[in-house]
Amino acid sequence: MQPNRLKQGGRIDRSRALSFRFNGKSYEGYTGDTLASALLANGVSLVSRSFKLHRPRGIVGAGAEEPNAILQIGRGASTLPTQRATQVELYDGLEARSTKGWPSLRFDIAAFNDLVSPLLAAGFYYKTFMRPQALWPWYERFIRAAAGFGLAPREPDPDRYEHRNAHCDVLIAGAGPAGLIAALVAARSGARVIIADEQNEFGGSLLSASQTIDAEPATAWIEATTAELDALDNVTMLTRSTVFGYYDHNFVAIVERCTDHIGEDVAGVRQRLWRVRAKQVVLAQGAFERPLVFCNNDRPGVMLASAVSCYIHRYAVCPGKRAVVFTNNDSAYRTAIDLRAAGASVVIIDSRAEGAGALADAARADGITMLPGHIVTDVSGRRHVSGVRVAQWNGDVTSTVQNTINIDCDLVAVSGGWSPAVHLHSQSGGKNAWSDDLHCFVPAEYAQANVSAGAGNGKWSLQDCLQDGLDAGIEVIARCGIEAADVTLPLAVEVASRPLEPLWRVPAATDPDRCPKQFVDFQIDTSVADIRLAVREGYRNVEHVKRYTALGFGTDQGKLGNINGMAILAECLGEDIASVGTTAFRPAYTPVTFGVGAAENVGDLFEPVRKTAIHASHEAAGAPFEVVGQWHRPWYFPQGDEDLHTSVARECLATRKSVGMMDASTLGKIDARGPDVVEFLRRIYTHDVGKMKVGRCAYGIMLGEDGMVMDDGVIARVAERQFYLTTTTGGAAPVLAWLERWLQTEWPELEVYLTSLTEHYATIVVAGPNSRRVLQDIGCNIDLERDSFAFMSVRDAELAGIAVTLFRVSFSGELAFEINIDSRNALKMWQLVADAGAKFDITPYGTETMHVLRAEKGFVIVGQDTDGSVTPVDLRLQWLLSKDKDFLGKRSLSRTDCVRSDRKQLVGLLSEDGKTVLPEGTQLVDDPGAAIPVPMCGHVTSSYYSACLGRPIAMALVATGHSRRDEIIFASLADGSAVPVRIVSPVFYDPEGERQND
Amino acid sequence: MFLIQCPWCGERAETEFSYGGEAGIVRPLEPDALSDAEWADYLFNRTNLRGAYKELWNHAQGCRRWFGVERDTVTYKIEGSYELPSGRAGKGA
Amino acid sequence: MTESTVQVCVLDDVGHINLRGDRHSVDFITAVESVIGQSLPVAANTMSEKEHRVFWIGPDEWLITTVADNTLGLLADLDKKLASHHAAVNDVSGGNIELRLSGKNVRDVLAKGCTLDFHEIVFGPGTCAQSGLAKAAVLFGFVEAPHTFDIIVRRSFSDYLLRWLANAGCEYGIEFR
Repeated sequence: MQPNRLKQGGRIDRSRALSFRFNGKSYEGYTGDTLASALLANGVSLVSRSFKLHRPRGIVGAGAEEPNAILQIGRGASTLPTQRATQVELYDGLEARSTKGWPSLRFDIAAFNDLVSPLLAAGFYYKTFMRPQALWPWYERFIRAAAGFGLAPREPDPDRYEHRNAHCDVLIAGAGPAGLIAALVAARSGARVIIADEQNEFGGSLLSASQTIDAEPATAWIEATTAELDALDNVTMLTRSTVFGYYDHNFVAIVERCTDHIGEDVAGVRQRLWRVRAKQVVLAQGAFERPLVFCNNDRPGVMLASAVSCYIHRYAVCPGKRAVVFTNNDSAYRTAIDLRAAGASVVIIDSRAEGAGALADAARADGITMLPGHIVTDVSGRRHVSGVRVAQWNGDVTSTVQNTINIDCDLVAVSGGWSPAVHLHSQSGGKNAWSDDLHCFVPAEYAQANVSAGAGNGKWSLQDCLQDGLDAGIEVIARCGIEAADVTLPLAVEVASRPLEPLWRVPAATDPDRCPKQFVDFQIDTSVADIRLAVREGYRNVEHVKRYTALGFGTDQGKLGNINGMAILAECLGEDIASVGTTAFRPAYTPVTFGVGAAENVGDLFEPVRKTAIHASHEAAGAPFEVVGQWHRPWYFPQGDEDLHTSVARECLATRKSVGMMDASTLGKIDARGPDVVEFLRRIYTHDVGKMKVGRCAYGIMLGEDGMVMDDGVIARVAERQFYLTTTTGGAAPVLAWLERWLQTEWPELEVYLTSLTEHYATIVVAGPNSRRVLQDIGCNIDLERDSFAFMSVRDAELAGIAVTLFRVSFSGELAFEINIDSRNALKMWQLVADAGAKFDITPYGTETMHVLRAEKGFVIVGQDTDGSVTPVDLRLQWLLSKDKDFLGKRSLSRTDCVRSDRKQLVGLLSEDGKTVLPEGTQLVDDPGAAIPVPMCGHVTSSYYSACLGRPIAMALVATGHSRRDEIIFASLADGSAVPVRIVSPVFYDPEGERQND
Repeated sequence: MFLIQCPWCGERAETEFSYGGEAGIVRPLEPDALSDAEWADYLFNRTNLRGAYKELWNHAQGCRRWFGVERDTVTYKIEGSYELPSGRAGKGA
Repeated sequence: MTESTVQVCVLDDVGHINLRGDRHSVDFITAVESVIGQSLPVAANTMSEKEHRVFWIGPDEWLITTVADNTLGLLADLDKKLASHHAAVNDVSGGNIELRLSGKNVRDVLAKGCTLDFHEIVFGPGTCAQSGLAKAAVLFGFVEAPHTFDIIVRRSFSDYLLRWLANAGCEYGIEFR
């Protein structure tokens, strides 16, 4: 039983009934319905409560402009909030709920807000909840509970979403008459075309009208045109696809709803985000009808005239039996005629003294009563309109009306004129200009490669839209350098019309500040009185008034209310609308799900996991991984049920006593060569690379031009004019880009080529007193003894017949070798080392042990012990600074700030109790008893328990630290306690370096 | 998202590039001869223009070349890209 | 069961050589071409194909891919021939993974994760380009008409990229060989 469903007509399939539930109650609709049309067919007029005042609200529009019917759709993890019932296609089993109204829609406790609404005027929240500040969290809880348009699901999203990049010559937003004909000319001309429309089928406004094109129903022209486009390979047609964002350089975002209309739990991609780079864009999204502003104009049953026509034509639903049509222009006369044809009685109230043009004759012929020169001033009925008050219109908006008459009705169809949907034009950076002829903002200045066409460009008649669309198509094709194909302009029948007379608000029986509410923005409950209050309180700028009254702040971005609001503001300010201007529109045009924004970038595809060539072995060994940048590095290698602490202690002791091995493949590696490579590296590194002998390595640091340590690593001179540089793991890419930058921009005369070898070589560190014997046992073709392969040397060699490059460098302070090997052989070499080391109990160790071993030696990690504000002098690395040459950052080291005596400097710290492992990041203070805020003198950068030393050790940056050796300061812990710590040298182990030189 | 013309690879999406700040900042030949203020000027001060601005970009996910771009900082319109001249005269200006 | 319209194959018999040198030097180009026996592409985004595949990857940088067993020999020949030039020849075989994608929906899969235009009129024979695919930097090369592409990606990203491809290609019944 669908009381408002017409017997025939509409683009619905009566043979396919669908059942759905709204607020727990079951209803029936048809395939082809939207949720809104099905609700109206069933006579459901109350669909929500308003945002602030909780007034009962009904469906107003038929498309993206709908301010009231914002519903929660679906169940469980797939549910979608903030859905406009007017754009939700009906499917069998659909479940929808109102998002406002508690405990039920009909008995909304918060509707009390409406009774106290004088207290809830514009700025109420700002004024009321500001003081006392301490109560804000309490206020916030209630405001949040009372606000919002639905709930996000709490479960993980079970649906599939994806992104898709696309390129085209011409993108057309909107497939109404203008968009379709623009697409036709572009497509026939051979351009690559994408045409997108938010509705389930192409045709736009023509789907809701009874107009003819070339003496045929307009739908025939749509079918022929879409069939031709469909047959062309160079055209991509996207239905259910909203062009929601227009970004820089013609980058346009479209969301395609692939399965939402079928139901939930549907296989395949639910929504697709199209990221389109278009050479040219045609904006043909049409126009929105404006409501009229009178008392209680928000009552359910007050609808846009065009929406009423749409429901009748497209969905065979007539939302009322006794209709009043209130208008200031001709277009609503078509609605009156449509209503009459659908069997309703109709009275037209036209504010214009002379009424309409030729359409008035047609209305009269249909037996429609017309009251020109009249206005609707108020509405009776609370949950549904039951009548209107009508008065004669004297043309003076500041007057109060008298001598009103009552007309009973169950539907009020209103039209205050039309506003082009300039949203995307505005997003593109284009300017809009007020047209005194059309009484609306129209696209004026273009900022990007686009053109507006059709109703979106202020063309109201079908013939004008077709002409404008054709012109736009030809224009953009020409801009693409393509010759336009022939397209004949179709002919539409037009009737003579009389122009609109602006009517931005309707006077009431009392002054606008005391009369029943006259709503401007339905979704956000902004009324005429609110705008007037804002002006009285001193707001003049449209952007400020917007924020104070929340006008246009809803999820609909004020698609219905904005223009009326601007005009009323202009009236209050005594200015014209053009000088008040309009606010900027921003993406998204209609709300977009987080799901489609994230798409596949969730779970294990959220961030790339970079794996070394030896990763599989670490995984098999059961090592937990530490995330370093995008790399996953083995953190420690637990045996049995060891935890981090015991595992690391064992790994450290084994390495110091016998031998350990680790995967250091993530270090950055750069081949640098060329005639000028020495000169180049002299400028980059702080020490004098020119003094290095072939076959030798050096520890090197590079500084930013500000003198701060940027990166460090080993430099090996492998040939006279060839070096092998290593960087930190995180520095691999940035350092290469940094070096290239200097070569390409500042020193292009230097002949140097850099090649990244980071991924080509895997690096296996073998460290500990027995490391040499392990390599010898594998079978090495070179003499590894100290006399022939000294500390800080590099040599090409073969291990078990496999080519490697051996570095005698040490980050652990032990005798150590770094094996650089083609990544393809790395896993094999890792196993060879493990096998040969078995008799020495070789122990694989991870990043944590590596950190402890280096901290025991006082070696810094750039990015951990430094933070971009630390100079080499702060680190006591003066010995690395060449006095004989310039290098990047050198001049900065003598800036006043860099030679301050109270700079934070690197020191070692020992907890006086010999037990406390200080948390990294702990703040250090001289006097924990000092008045709050306690002055801080430094912070802990590295801190570990050292199994070798049997006590915790730490490194820290402490003000004037270098000259405070043996002083006691305090570590301020999170629990409020202060631990005394002694400042010591950061080199805790083997200060003479005898072990690594062995 | 910008569409940036790499002088070699052609027009590519902004995501392929990294930004290098103002172009034409020339490193002083003799830093030691400069006062702290003069050095700080080289180090920190940028014109930060409103309007046409010459800046450096690096085609990080492409040919790894640094190049110049003239971009309007108000409209974001890119007037053009250019190779950095080779030799000391270049200076990225 | 979806019919597979995208196939991915990890090439394991390939060697990669990174070459840098002066494109303005006729001597350099002649020297290289005499070793590789084919032209060195100097136009951006192009590649030459004969015994080896030579990708333009920068105005002074190329990637030569060849059969794995040839790599060291080719490397030595280039080193020798270019000894007197300012040039850099590096074996990067260990650092790259090369994937071959074929099937009629390859371009659709690539478009899901890359901002390049893969339309046939844009990306056809002789074309290569570096860009990003999902969150990995890659080099694309057009290998064979109509839709066969090679993707060269850094080794550490290959696992991620294969998983991304498996996800993006599932609607096309993507197969890994």
